[in-house]
Amino acid sequence: MTGGDPLDLEEARRKLRDLGYLDGRVERYVFSRVFEGRRGVLVPVAIALAAACAVGCVAAVLSAEPEFLRSGSGPLVLLVHLSLAFFFPAALAAAAGAAIADRSRSAGPGAAACGLLAASAVFLLWIGGAWGLGRALRGSALLWGFPVAIAALGAARSARAAYLARAYAHSGALPRARRHGALFGIAAAALVVAAAVFASRPEDVASPPLHVAPRHERVVVVAIDGIAGAAAGAIGDPALARVLEGAPAGWWRQEPAAPPEVWTTAATGVDSVRHGVRALERVRPAGSPAALRAPFGSRWYLRLVGPALSLVSSAPVSAADRRALTFWEVAASAGLPSGAIGWWASGPWPGAVVVDNRQVLSLARTGEEADAIALERWPALRGAAIAALYLPGPDILRRDRARRAAEIERIGRFLSDEIRAARAGEIALVVLTADTHAPAGSLARATVFDGRSSALVRIQAADVAPSVLARAGIPAAEDLRGHAVPALFREGSLEKATVATYGSRIAPAAGSSVTTDREYLRRLKALGYLN
Amino acid sequence: MEARPAVEEALARAVPEGTPAGPALARAMSEAVLSPGKRLRPLVALAAGAMARAPQRAVMPVAVAVELVHAASLVLDDLPSMDNARRRRGRPALHVTHGVSTAELASVALLSRAFETLAFAPEVPAGGRARLVSELSRAVGAEGCCGGQAADLSADPARLTLEELESIHARKTGALFVAAVRGGAIAGGASDSDLDLLTVFARNLGLAFQITDDLLDLEGSPEVMGKDTLRDGHRANFATLFGAEAARRLVDELLEAAVSALSSFRSRAAVLADLARVVRDRRS
Repeated sequence: MTGGDPLDLEEARRKLRDLGYLDGRVERYVFSRVFEGRRGVLVPVAIALAAACAVGCVAAVLSAEPEFLRSGSGPLVLLVHLSLAFFFPAALAAAAGAAIADRSRSAGPGAAACGLLAASAVFLLWIGGAWGLGRALRGSALLWGFPVAIAALGAARSARAAYLARAYAHSGALPRARRHGALFGIAAAALVVAAAVFASRPEDVASPPLHVAPRHERVVVVAIDGIAGAAAGAIGDPALARVLEGAPAGWWRQEPAAPPEVWTTAATGVDSVRHGVRALERVRPAGSPAALRAPFGSRWYLRLVGPALSLVSSAPVSAADRRALTFWEVAASAGLPSGAIGWWASGPWPGAVVVDNRQVLSLARTGEEADAIALERWPALRGAAIAALYLPGPDILRRDRARRAAEIERIGRFLSDEIRAARAGEIALVVLTADTHAPAGSLARATVFDGRSSALVRIQAADVAPSVLARAGIPAAEDLRGHAVPALFREGSLEKATVATYGSRIAPAAGSSVTTDREYLRRLKALGYLN
Repeated sequence: MEARPAVEEALARAVPEGTPAGPALARAMSEAVLSPGKRLRPLVALAAGAMARAPQRAVMPVAVAVELVHAASLVLDDLPSMDNARRRRGRPALHVTHGVSTAELASVALLSRAFETLAFAPEVPAGGRARLVSELSRAVGAEGCCGGQAADLSADPARLTLEELESIHARKTGALFVAAVRGGAIAGGASDSDLDLLTVFARNLGLAFQITDDLLDLEGSPEVMGKDTLRDGHRANFATLFGAEAARRLVDELLEAAVSALSSFRSRAAVLADLARVVRDRRS
């Protein structure tokens, strides 16, 4: 009232604000119109957030597996799938943010927090995804940070503007200061974190030339899946124990893991983070010409929801997933004839005779047939300096004790012949036994027939590859996780020289079709895998 | 060409003395428009157009139109039936020199000339011209100056609240500032979201201008002001409502809010921001 004392300044300010003055900080983003009263901002925010999260995931795949970009429409198809998939969690997040905004008394900090959370989620999907795919990350992978940053900032600004809109509709108050600096700060911080994370992964390097001092004896590696140790160093199966005991052995505790991961670690000398083989399957979003491994944050869709809705199919793991060289590939690259029969995630390699796991299991209906097919192909490696054989029969037959025992008898007879050759000094024989399907883990063992008297040492799975290579006269690489184990081999037989690295496995992804992949996976299921 | 001289030149062209309406009316119109004034509204219109990257000649019709309306409103405001003011812009008020009837006719003629100027703005598309006419009509009519003046005349100063006072001045003063700013930007083809921001700027600027006017009326001298002071003593104004010190603080805060609404335009809005400072520093 004008007749009395002048209005208190604070009161005047409050009244003028109520009348729409004293507030010049107007949000200019696409949601500025909602300040005029519309409150339905959830859908646009959910769309922006979902698209940004999808960009983060796709960038993770492309950062870790740049060859996926060469699949043509693969990245775009994945982007569409994930954008649709992320819409629902993004809508939930937007609804939660809106509920908080509706009760907000101070719009600025809440809106800033909302924006920062949105941006952080997108960056986390990118960095976590690239890290989780477990491959070497080239420096160029950082370039994917720019589209990710743009998507993250877009999502953050959407979330922030929507929060402000809701808070404004409720309270009529706008923040006193803009906080764009914080968003750019988190983008810069995320790029720095990504650089540090990516730098911690070694880049792919080509195989350097190796100077080999060939040994007289061939090295034969036979891997038998489904045989667990009974105690430290002991073979669990009596029939096989009779054949294998009395020879030097190294043993290790094998934690539960998919068979391809376990046997690839043994064959490459590096762990799964580096060799990249972790599961039996890859995923293939409908419409994508290429399969991929599901990145962090998207597995719920690519592994569960998508397959249930027939929007995502599976593809078997293959050599295309592997980034580290197996011992037979190193040997072939060094000029030694070599090869492998039936090994998981194996594939063609120059100079090596390789019958991959798919060629064996896709023809087999039973465990006996699988072993029989592998053994039929085995003579093809008679002249190889390093020959590897994988026998899955006991693992496939684990539920049928009688057939399993008979199969182990057959393997025992095969091994007896090989052991005789080893005792005759013709070959150095390494027999690997492990039970990859033991849910609580198992004891695994490498039994070596190389003319050395009995010894029992603790080793690790990754020691197998460098030991085999050193026994064949090939210098062990210093960047492997495992090391050659002299205690298991004839004295002085292991090559002592070392090289810095064998390099990475750089090979084009082998093509496969949805139909053949589906048929092979059906066969794997029939054999007891993927259950 | 510099804005101020260009505005003066355009105003002179808009009210030529040799009008067929007759020498007395023409002289009255000319005196009402060309007497020394701050030209703040046309300058604001030009600055808003510049912000929208429009050439000066495209926005000049808007600048002229708002100044013509402003001049017409001052003539009406000074009439004996309204404020009964005797001096305006350092000179006798128009109704004193030309009589009430001529002053009233001059005012109506100036309003007509303002709308004519907009309707024939040569560099604005037809849709834009219609929109400009609509904006100015709103600023002049019952929702603008006329409505504000009517409310002012009928208000009881002893019972006037802040909300009522704001409502009066938002129409009497603020509406024309809003029309000037939005008109300049519309002539330059500005987007709706830019217009929203400029409206925030103009509303805050208009209220700051009015409070400053009230302060000057309370504290200024007639010689410097060029018009009668303390004639609003019989009316409520912001200076008496808030107290002079608080009113000055609010002027600063309103201008700060106005300028911050321009922040996203960055350097494009520098002239508009400078004009806001002119409002703060004005002495007449």
